[in-house]
Amino acid sequence: MTAASLSEKLRKKECSAVEITRSVLEQIEKTEDKIGSFVTVCEEQALKKAEEVDRKIAAGEALSSLAGIPIGVKDNICTKDVLTTCSSKMLYNFVPPYDATVVSRLKQADAVIIGKCNMDEFAMGSSCETSYFKKTKNPWDPAYVPGGSSGGSAACVSAGEAVLSLGSDTGGSIRLPASYCGVVGLKPTYGSVSRYGLVAFASSLDQIGPLGRSVEDVANLYEVICGRDPMDATSAAREYGAFAQKINRSVKGLRIGIPKEYFGDGVEPEIKAAVLESVDRLVKEGAQTVSISLPSTDYALSAYYIISSAEASSNLARFDGVKYGYRAKDFTNLIDMYEKTRSEGFGDEVKRRIMLGTFVLSSGFYDAYYKRAKQMQQKIAQEYAEAFSQCDIILTPTSPSTAFRMGERTDDPLKMYAADICTVTVNIAGLPAISVPCATASNGLPVGMQMIGPKFSEQMLFDAAGCFENICGGFGVAPSVKA
Amino acid sequence: MQIDIQHIAKLSRLSIEKEKVEKFQKEMENIVAMCEKLPPMDGDYTSVDPSNPMQLRQDEIRPSLKRDQLLQNAPQTQAGCVVVPKVVE
Repeated sequence: MTAASLSEKLRKKECSAVEITRSVLEQIEKTEDKIGSFVTVCEEQALKKAEEVDRKIAAGEALSSLAGIPIGVKDNICTKDVLTTCSSKMLYNFVPPYDATVVSRLKQADAVIIGKCNMDEFAMGSSCETSYFKKTKNPWDPAYVPGGSSGGSAACVSAGEAVLSLGSDTGGSIRLPASYCGVVGLKPTYGSVSRYGLVAFASSLDQIGPLGRSVEDVANLYEVICGRDPMDATSAAREYGAFAQKINRSVKGLRIGIPKEYFGDGVEPEIKAAVLESVDRLVKEGAQTVSISLPSTDYALSAYYIISSAEASSNLARFDGVKYGYRAKDFTNLIDMYEKTRSEGFGDEVKRRIMLGTFVLSSGFYDAYYKRAKQMQQKIAQEYAEAFSQCDIILTPTSPSTAFRMGERTDDPLKMYAADICTVTVNIAGLPAISVPCATASNGLPVGMQMIGPKFSEQMLFDAAGCFENICGGFGVAPSVKA
Repeated sequence: MQIDIQHIAKLSRLSIEKEKVEKFQKEMENIVAMCEKLPPMDGDYTSVDPSNPMQLRQDEIRPSLKRDQLLQNAPQTQAGCVVVPKVVE
């Protein structure tokens, strides 16, 4: 069921908030062993909040569209008094004394936080396999990965273990798992959602965003979390209106840019065919296609790994065993404590990226790598700006393939990184992008399609995605849930 | 590109187990090789977005978190302070 339909039931008093939360908790009990979406399930707090919502309903209070709705929150987003681990040994016992801004907004909107979702360690990964605690499985086929780094956030929504969820996206970490798990995922415009309380990976690229089973649900959640925040100096000075109720499910006259670089050899033929077939369906509804080119796409992955690793090496310097988190047991002096804590507390992928970041920023290499990557970033942003003078949205596959098997790419970092080739340019340019399910592949797994817009064009993305949703007759849930 | 893994690890305050050094070295070199594909470019780059200037808050005292709350996560505390190995010899 969608949040919108559950909200309707609550309003009409056809069910209670406690009943909704209990039913989701039952689903978690049935499913968690097989899927493993959560690091922490917040049963007690969730029921308490649901009871509070029922009291408000009984008192005749007007409630938000998210009131009583069970939502999963990625475990790199701080929740006061609830374990927040970033799926890392480094924060295995970290209990934040404050809420992230997005969490405060969820609580103000009377949403029910049902649990903290599993992820790749410190958001570094594309498969949810680098989590220190567990590997989340794809609800469509547990032999396959759910995608990452917001693997748990996508899986819990796909498996009915939550109605909506929050993830974070630095290079595709909302859109990729959304596409692999057959759900809707939005990476908002950089600066539209506060990063206060989000454990930083790459500060100039990170954004928190919503995942759900319908465009309307995702729009509703976005509406609640977006907005200027004095606690985040990078949040845009901007007013936002309503989104969900303004969705206009039409693509008449919409110019859809098709960038040739996203339909080349790097993308599997079956994926290309499914996405282009979806474009045809949109054209039947009145859209036009425009061939465009984003020539620097080939360099995007390199620029992304340089910039994000450089920022990560700086952001993760704070994990030293001093004030919070893991501290090594045996050490001879302060420096030794730092080294042992970090070596024992971080997994291999995190270490790889910290070292890459240190390397590209180090004396003698800064100009050749980091400076060049920043110049490339500017070029990529310019190419998008030029493209948007010819079209309204840009449409691409979300990923070159469907989900892959567990363990298939863990031995080859470059192969793993290749999952991001369709998503990273969006973070580099700070643009919004939404992934929606568009087909089922021959291996039975979902195929995702990505729509990219200019900055702050989320409404247009909801409109186009909403139109496509109508064409599809809605996006379902994973078959394992129906059974 | 030859990467001095031990040096980089030291700069990052990390140590790599002896058995893993070779693997890490190879992986890093492959990743750096991918990154080397970036062509040389001209021109400046600015990280600052002129349409969204940073707004800093006023320098006023406001209520903040309490010390006890902040020390809750510290591995070792004593007399309201965090305990660490001796810093200055």
